[in-house]
Amino acid sequence: MSAGQTQQKPANQHMRRNPPIAGEAEAIAAAQAGDEKAFETLYALHKRRVYSLCLRMLGNVAAAEDLTQDAFLQLYRKIGTFRGDSAFSTWLHRLAVNVVLMHLRKKGLPQISLEEALEPSQDDGPRKDFGDRDLQLSGSIDRVTLERAIEDLPPGYRLVFVLHDVEGYEHNEIADMLSCSIGNSKSQLHKARMKLRDLLRTGQRKESAV
Amino acid sequence: MTITRPRETTMTCADFQERLPELFETHTDLSAEDHLKTCENCTALVRDLEYIAQQAKLLLPIHDPSPTVWDNIRTAIRNDPNSGTGGATPAPSAGR
Repeated sequence: MSAGQTQQKPANQHMRRNPPIAGEAEAIAAAQAGDEKAFETLYALHKRRVYSLCLRMLGNVAAAEDLTQDAFLQLYRKIGTFRGDSAFSTWLHRLAVNVVLMHLRKKGLPQISLEEALEPSQDDGPRKDFGDRDLQLSGSIDRVTLERAIEDLPPGYRLVFVLHDVEGYEHNEIADMLSCSIGNSKSQLHKARMKLRDLLRTGQRKESAV
Repeated sequence: MTITRPRETTMTCADFQERLPELFETHTDLSAEDHLKTCENCTALVRDLEYIAQQAKLLLPIHDPSPTVWDNIRTAIRNDPNSGTGGATPAPSAGR
């Protein structure tokens, strides 16, 4: 099976990732009318995915909780503009991605554009692999190791990798969320996987040298 | 008539790796790629990239944020001058 095949999504993939949630539409309508209880319901339904995205992007519990809070406060202010053109979870995720990107820009790279965030410097990018068959990853990477390697990815690679490979978004959805081209999303995903392989193999070498 | 040999038979690792993103995205059956039949290095690369994609799918979910997060959100909402009106202009229709 190819990596492409492992990502192959059935026709109902969108429904699998964003299955209809009982009571969600009613909660959205009530929250739009100012019902705090309904907003709490929406928070309960979506807090884990928003928090997971923030935590994976920041690698820090306190900062991830702060951004989760910011994302839901943004949701509170903007929920009236939700028209149902896309799944609510996708719309909310886009909002959360923007909160994360704003944070990253403020933190380290105040002038960074999205394109720059999505195109790390040459030093941060993956290497071509024309040799070095000494290590194989297959069967050897546990969840913690992979999570740590994801944390070490440049932010632009990390974001696309998390959205596509971890959360299952399609390239067109990612392009929409990040306001970039579909080709850019595909290219960044491949570079992210290559860079992750570099990181994981480097980690293995260090372990085997001890 | 001269029969042109398939490009794959003389493909270099650089050529193959250049095509790899497209092969993954189009869900091509990579086991049929001629280059992989003779190149252990690219075979290992493909196997690793498949493995990374498979393992990534197992990562969700993490866990919930602490209860403090909702407490802070609720406090902020209640202090919001627009509180009680949804904090935003209500839309005529909600959800899907």
